Amino acid sequence: LPAGLSQWFPALEVLDVSGTGLAEMGAELLSLPCLHTLLAKNNRLGGPGSLPKGLEQAPLARSLRVLNLSGNRFAEVPPALLQLRELRSLSLGGNRLHGIPPDIQELRSLEFLYLGGNFITAIPPELAKLPSLRYLVLCDNKIQSIPPQLAQLHSLRSLSLHNNLLTYLPREILNLVHLEELSLRGNPLVVRFVRDLTYNPPSLQELAGRTVKTRNVPYAPSDLPESLVRYLSLASNCPNPKCGGVYFDSCVRQIKFVDFCGKYRLPLMHYLCSPECSSPFSSASQSSTSQSESDSEDEASVAAHRMQKVLLG
Amino acid sequence: FRYTRNLVDNGNGKFNLMILCWGEGHGSSIHDHTDSHCFMKILQGNLKETLFEWPGKKGNGEMAKKSERVLRENQCAYINDSIGLHRVENISHTETAVSLHLYSPPFNTCNTFDQRTGHKHKVTMTFYSQYGERTVCVSTRPDAPG
Repeated sequence: LPAGLSQWFPALEVLDVSGTGLAEMGAELLSLPCLHTLLAKNNRLGGPGSLPKGLEQAPLARSLRVLNLSGNRFAEVPPALLQLRELRSLSLGGNRLHGIPPDIQELRSLEFLYLGGNFITAIPPELAKLPSLRYLVLCDNKIQSIPPQLAQLHSLRSLSLHNNLLTYLPREILNLVHLEELSLRGNPLVVRFVRDLTYNPPSLQELAGRTVKTRNVPYAPSDLPESLVRYLSLASNCPNPKCGGVYFDSCVRQIKFVDFCGKYRLPLMHYLCSPECSSPFSSASQSSTSQSESDSEDEASVAAHRMQKVLLG
Repeated sequence: FRYTRNLVDNGNGKFNLMILCWGEGHGSSIHDHTDSHCFMKILQGNLKETLFEWPGKKGNGEMAKKSERVLRENQCAYINDSIGLHRVENISHTETAVSLHLYSPPFNTCNTFDQRTGHKHKVTMTFYSQYGERTVCVSTRPDAPG
């Protein structure tokens, strides 16, 4: 970038340096106080110096709203980028990312996040802490599972997950009430009922912990070692509405299908506290499969009806 | 946030001429063409077309791909139901794409197909805009592609 940029064009608002072969962007950018849109796609950015040093203190960190770095060579999200607190739109599509840093939650104003076409294998739950996120694109990656916390993205309108390695989705995905679009094609979603038989029996510690919690046995921090107090605070509630139980580490993973009236059957992962727990309308997990496959009378059926309109083929 | 269908001309009821605008990563479902002729020309960017065989009567298995190709700017393609079904996608993560579509006779419903099972589902297609004016959204049902 030319050295005199901020002197010649102090009022610059939009800068497009896409397709110019840039390998670095330096301090010339820092004193452009009006710059809200920076397009730098299809370049050779990704190494050190891709973003200018001192970005967090610069006026640019407060003015930038739209940043497009797609089609470059980023192997990781540069930490300096996470200082752009006013950023509304970020694209890192078509780079070489293997993951998403948990500090992505620092981009508190983000509404649009495009990460399609990378090598991402997992999504950090911290991504769900972005309160304004409306559009999330994660297609064409290597993602194997979606953290249930993603259901906390209350503003999410559009979620693109096509062409990944998902075999199921978390049940909580039905909680995204504002979702209008969801793409899932090109994932190896399980189509037949899957019984997870690897239920590890609970340890004595777990059984004791469950009893303490379900019987409301009173205890104070002075009664127990700190590690056990912490353990007891990590109890999860069994989602089976007829069971008031809790579990710690030992739970049954059960895949149930939500049937969108024959159009699509989504496999959703439920965590239950024991093999005896199951949906009120299906038999226990050991019995015939035909009943257990259809979840249409579950409390999720209302949410499923909504999701039916949202699924893209 | 998906590709948009923008009606340009309705040919006195004999055809529909429309422009489709595809964002990065946008793709259509697998769909048929309701016994009409369909021409497509790429105006900007690239679109990948994947052809599929019609699923068997039972529709109980992964649909069979016939072929795929990437259509470049100014290239044209044609399809009708006797040729097969297709999916059209903008596979670029950096560029948008624009295509021109001609359907004769015009149709506003078609079937979309689940690639994993061959199950079909009838959908009504809607326009994002008509003759340059934004169409007010009436239904939240997912509309089909071009």
